[in-house]
Amino acid sequence: MNAERLQQLVAAYGADPRRWPEAERDAGRALLAAGPGDATVEAARDLDYLLWASPQPAVSMALRDRVLASAAAAGLTPRRVRLWRDRLALTFGAGWAVAACAGVAAGVLVSAQISADASADAVLYQASQSALDDSEMLG
Amino acid sequence: MARIADPDEELVRRVGQGDAAAIQAMVARKLPRILALAKRMLSDPIEAEDVAQEAMLRAWRQAPKWAPGKAKFDTWLHRVALNLCYDRLRRRREVVTDTPPERIDDGPAPDQGLLSAETGVRVDAALSRLPDRQREAIVLCHYQELTNIEAAALMEVSVEALESLLSRGRRALRVSLADLADDRGADRG
Repeated sequence: MNAERLQQLVAAYGADPRRWPEAERDAGRALLAAGPGDATVEAARDLDYLLWASPQPAVSMALRDRVLASAAAAGLTPRRVRLWRDRLALTFGAGWAVAACAGVAAGVLVSAQISADASADAVLYQASQSALDDSEMLG
Repeated sequence: MARIADPDEELVRRVGQGDAAAIQAMVARKLPRILALAKRMLSDPIEAEDVAQEAMLRAWRQAPKWAPGKAKFDTWLHRVALNLCYDRLRRRREVVTDTPPERIDDGPAPDQGLLSAETGVRVDAALSRLPDRQREAIVLCHYQELTNIEAAALMEVSVEALESLLSRGRRALRVSLADLADDRGADRG
């Protein structure tokens, strides 16, 4: 680590050592602390601050619901439903079994969805807030 | 090759088994992240939602056959989302339009109360004007918080090339946003 490499790190990754390559972080920090204040570092810090003004897009309920619905459409059915479907297929034939299990799978997903809606919303809300928290921490 | 530690490994396994709670958790964990990537790459919120939805659909299809240890699921998902973004960016260049792209109003400074929102708009506009690869580098490293090694691998470049893209991108942003940086310097006193 030398002054030239420190300038390269700041130019590429910004003034926050937490964003520098892990292998160079400690040496970079030490060199930064040892030297006098640098206009380049200050300018990089200003840009870092501005970059955090870019808003984190919020996930709409409509998008979330479409994505959740696509999981079932992609064939992600709970294992117990698949086992049940296989047993029904042996007894009644494949067509009836698939129709019955599609209804059960939708019901399982919807009921799980309903029961988890509050916590999922809380998680989504927290996820949308985390960018604000990060900007306060890093800015 | 050493086994790669993946914080999403257990969640992906449960998603692959159709675990409804795991599916919910995957949506909560990844959808905001992928939407943010797409929005900053494409600027268009509708296209960003389309990309995020398609990326998650591919995640659902991949989950049952995901082989842990070779790569992080998050890295794979980023690759999928970036490919979808670049498909759209290529399509844009192929479309000839008489309607110029919407420009951000660079008029007088707004009231202090609106400063943060307006600053965000200016920053996003400046990001959108960067060459695609410089924007991609900055989005991956600064906003998605990937390591330099992860970002370089995703972009299929060396770390040195990544740093060059980042430096050039940041330099261009400093020029675009120079007045905002000057305001911040004045506030600092």
